[in-house]
Amino acid sequence: MDKTLVATVEDHRIALLAALAITIHIAESALPTPLPGIKPGLANIITIATLCLYGLRTAAWVLMLRVLAGSLLLGTFLSPTFALSFSGAVAALLVLSVARLTPGLGFGAVGYSLLAAMAHMAGQFTVAYWLFIPHPALLQLFPVLMTAAVLFGLVSGIIVATMLKHFR
Amino acid sequence: MTSSLLTRSDWLLLIASVALLPWLYGSFWGSTGGMGEEVHIMVDGRELPPISLSKDQTLTIQGSIGPSVLEVANHGIRFISSPCQGKQCIHSGWHTHAGEFAACLPNRVALLITGRESRYDTFNY
Repeated sequence: MDKTLVATVEDHRIALLAALAITIHIAESALPTPLPGIKPGLANIITIATLCLYGLRTAAWVLMLRVLAGSLLLGTFLSPTFALSFSGAVAALLVLSVARLTPGLGFGAVGYSLLAAMAHMAGQFTVAYWLFIPHPALLQLFPVLMTAAVLFGLVSGIIVATMLKHFR
Repeated sequence: MTSSLLTRSDWLLLIASVALLPWLYGSFWGSTGGMGEEVHIMVDGRELPPISLSKDQTLTIQGSIGPSVLEVANHGIRFISSPCQGKQCIHSGWHTHAGEFAACLPNRVALLITGRESRYDTFNY
């Protein structure tokens, strides 16, 4: 049995893209946020660009590696922050899978980005509500957070779409 | 690929997402604190049987220093006259939401509105 691990071209690609996403993620964590839970989520740009260029599998790897390695580097691994980040990523991935695998939907980068941003927000909000702060007052934040998600999802989607235009 | 950055589906999704937001605000901000259904009146530490807010009426409660007059109308209640000095109970106006509390302390008359879901957990003055 061959015990050597051979890094494929795809492995290198995943590593490179994940490194980019982690860099953006960490740079962004230094930015002050106006409200807990609201941040631009610019690392989403890498996930969506990966999805459009290389498909769902690669995007899933890049996203999950970013959440994992990002939390290790920021020291939030297995903390509530990580739980929120992780659940948001899983929700985004589920929605992206459905959007990608359902034939005939015809979404572009902006559509995927919007879906991912909203799913991410809804996913982590659900976990925050059920697990950490099950108080009805928290629900009042939900529309505000979703507004931010739509806004930032649109902005990063447009960034991805512009970026991809230069690739093609 | 067209010259446009957004595909047709992207536009449709964007419109749907933006349209979703006002609905979210409406459903998460509008229904906070249910309307009150009954009012519990306490006089000098004794609680009177609950009174429904849906039947308009004027109540006269005999407190420690005199009669307090309460008006029930439009699913709310207010003090309209009280023998106290400050008249804060009257100035507090209409009370309609479940969880709201009003009192005329000098006359030892207090009222608490109850309903299916309460808007406040507690009050502190």
